[in-house]
Amino acid sequence: MSTATMDASGHATDTDSTMDSFSYDDKIVRMFVTATILWGFVATLVGLIVAVILVYPWMTAGAPWIAFGRLRPLHTNAAIFAFAGNAIFAAIYYSTQRLCKARMWSDFLSHVHFWGWQAIIVAAAITLPLGFTQSKEYAELEWPIDIAIAVVWLFVFGGNFLMTLINRRERHMYVALWFYIATIVTVALLHVFNNLVLPFGLLESYSVYAGVQDAFMQWWYGHNAVAFFLTTPFLGLMYYFLPKAADRPVFSYKLSIIHFWSLVFIYIWAGPHHLHYTSLPEWASTLGMLFSLMLWMPSWGGMINGLLTLRGAWHKVAADPILKFFVVGVTFYGMATFEGPLLSIKSVNALSHYTDWTIAHVHSGALGWNGFMTFGMIYWLLPRIFQTKMWSDRMVSLHFWTSTLGILLYIIPIYAAGLMQGLMWREIDPETGALANPDFIETIQSIVPLWQLRILGGLLYVGGVVMLAINAVMTWTTRPATYEVPVITARRLSKTYQDDTPATTTELADAPVLELGKKMDIFAKMNWHRKWERLPVKFTILTTAAVLVATLFELVPTFLIRSNVPTIATVEPYTPLELAGREIYISEGCYNCHSQQIRPMVAETKRYGEYSKPGEFIYDRPFQWGSRRIGLDLAREGGRQSSFWHWTHFEDPASVSEGSVMPEYSHLLEADLRFSGIPALVNTAHQLGAPYDEELTNAEEMAYKQAERVAAEIVSQGGPANVQEKKAIALIAYLQRLGTDYFRTEDDEAAADAGEEVDAETAEAAEEIAMSN
Amino acid sequence: MVKDLVSALDYSNCATAALLLFVVSFVGIVYGSMRLSRKSADAFASIPLSDNVETPRDE
Repeated sequence: MSTATMDASGHATDTDSTMDSFSYDDKIVRMFVTATILWGFVATLVGLIVAVILVYPWMTAGAPWIAFGRLRPLHTNAAIFAFAGNAIFAAIYYSTQRLCKARMWSDFLSHVHFWGWQAIIVAAAITLPLGFTQSKEYAELEWPIDIAIAVVWLFVFGGNFLMTLINRRERHMYVALWFYIATIVTVALLHVFNNLVLPFGLLESYSVYAGVQDAFMQWWYGHNAVAFFLTTPFLGLMYYFLPKAADRPVFSYKLSIIHFWSLVFIYIWAGPHHLHYTSLPEWASTLGMLFSLMLWMPSWGGMINGLLTLRGAWHKVAADPILKFFVVGVTFYGMATFEGPLLSIKSVNALSHYTDWTIAHVHSGALGWNGFMTFGMIYWLLPRIFQTKMWSDRMVSLHFWTSTLGILLYIIPIYAAGLMQGLMWREIDPETGALANPDFIETIQSIVPLWQLRILGGLLYVGGVVMLAINAVMTWTTRPATYEVPVITARRLSKTYQDDTPATTTELADAPVLELGKKMDIFAKMNWHRKWERLPVKFTILTTAAVLVATLFELVPTFLIRSNVPTIATVEPYTPLELAGREIYISEGCYNCHSQQIRPMVAETKRYGEYSKPGEFIYDRPFQWGSRRIGLDLAREGGRQSSFWHWTHFEDPASVSEGSVMPEYSHLLEADLRFSGIPALVNTAHQLGAPYDEELTNAEEMAYKQAERVAAEIVSQGGPANVQEKKAIALIAYLQRLGTDYFRTEDDEAAADAGEEVDAETAEAAEEIAMSN
Repeated sequence: MVKDLVSALDYSNCATAALLLFVVSFVGIVYGSMRLSRKSADAFASIPLSDNVETPRDE
């Protein structure tokens, strides 16, 4: 260490041209750590609120911006992008500088990154409760915010990171940096391609993909968001901070290399397991399952590598709460990555999908792995970045035990709830051959006590975050008046570096073997790979290639099947009013509780009707298959209930469905629909391929006429008069259309053309389904 | 024409090809990792343990 002077950016150079003096930028780490704690509190608090209003929906008092459907995306986005996002940035900014023995390339970009990311989070926190959403899980944010994310992530953060790697003073890029590289390039790729949309307003858009393709793209993104936002950066964090906290090197560096490349090669294929038994092609679904199963291998290799790093130091774990956080975090990584492949097995998935089992799985990963690794890192960092002692070690310990108990109290009841749901939904009465639990509400009511228990678990976990916040603030208050900034002097890397043992010679040189054999021997020494590992740009390109090859293998054929999705002649685009109703469905976040995908299983077809076909979704932008059933599947909802039933259901769900946990949507009965906004929906859908004709010039009038017909139906069924201009009418029109095209006959079409009010045969067919259930 | 051609393709080969690609890649990765010398692996693994510049590992 030296006392050489520096310029304002901390990049001052010594008089010796081959020597640099620099300091690490810990201010940016302090900023990201602070943001992590703040957003961690917000994310877990919103999660707690969501858990409460799920059990007690009346608490929202009908306020749309705090309804479950709008708040759940806020919770997931805050947990992933605000809490975990800021945590990985804190980890990356701290560790990258030290692993590269270099300050971040640009302090300006570091700060643009920080403030840009916080602005994005605030924008999400405002737009999601207001109902602006793309309705694709973990990709709900609308297009202007998506553009900001792409710019801040790839060009500001990614650019700064890559330039730091290029200007590093450590020849070898430690494996944590590999994980960071994979994170940056893959998340950028996922984000850009999943969010390709055609806007029809400042905060509204249609996905360029429809139906099956949209679902596939979304879950390619959704699964890999977990892989490359919640796994790989946290593994980088583990490979850096666990050795630091244990003060010993990682157990096996070779294993870490295998861990990295295996994850990069395998993870990207696994997305289709989210779409088992849906309208996705069978081969893609099977491929997703197989690759998910393969993930067992590297994931457990990584977990074992992490835990064995503590070999000979287990006595420290007993005394050090930071190591406790890391040990439990890594153990949860092992548990979650064991369970993930298990859930991808089709027969298991048939039981678990749409149930709370998935929610328990996600939370064991998020609370246990991401949460505890973050807490461990923050507690390790706090004394170092604030250059003082931890305010209360006892509170750190208390946080650990409180949160551990909180996780258990959360996941155990929810695992039980998921199993109960799955088993009750599929149970068939052996005597009658009918569903043993035909009333869906019954299955929900039986798990409500478990949801109540979950609230207690959530409360403990939030309590832990509060302890962290108090401890961090109190530690900060004891910081020195001025932070000491150590200055480090080091030589730059030579551009003419050669390995100690350049692999240009072979022991076979004088042996009687072919020249090809000699070349193969040199190649097999793998020094070419060692060289690649030192070249950040080439390494980044190769990682991107690995991810892209896998992606294209799955995506290209799936997109080509657009040509051979069996066309259903009777499936037509939504009417202008139905399009408007669909926007309300999306805006209210109905997909958070209702799926629109009936799987080809006896229990499902008995409960919901004919299973869903790929050709039924060709005008669905975005798709609305959902991933969870807190309420019924709505794929064949059209004609099952009267329009007045829906009206009453929005007003007070429990009045027509006793025991329902759906919040009231009375604001839809009061607010007027903006008919003038409908032509934009029609035109955009037309640009994306919907074959509209008269609708292009007459959308508003057509919508109004249909609204009048729906309103007249409601009156004839005993409902209020003059409601044709209300939002609820559009939503009812959409719901009454769902799943009916498949049963439409030529007579129905003739009747529809004549402007008749009800599609009688469709309603009849739907009624038959309902009766048969 | 293109539509017919695309419709006639058998995409199930993608699964087989993907698995083969994976197996070859994985064997290559394991082989490459095993070729790393003990000395190098130890040196690389110790990088995070010091924030300061150690005796230059190479120049």
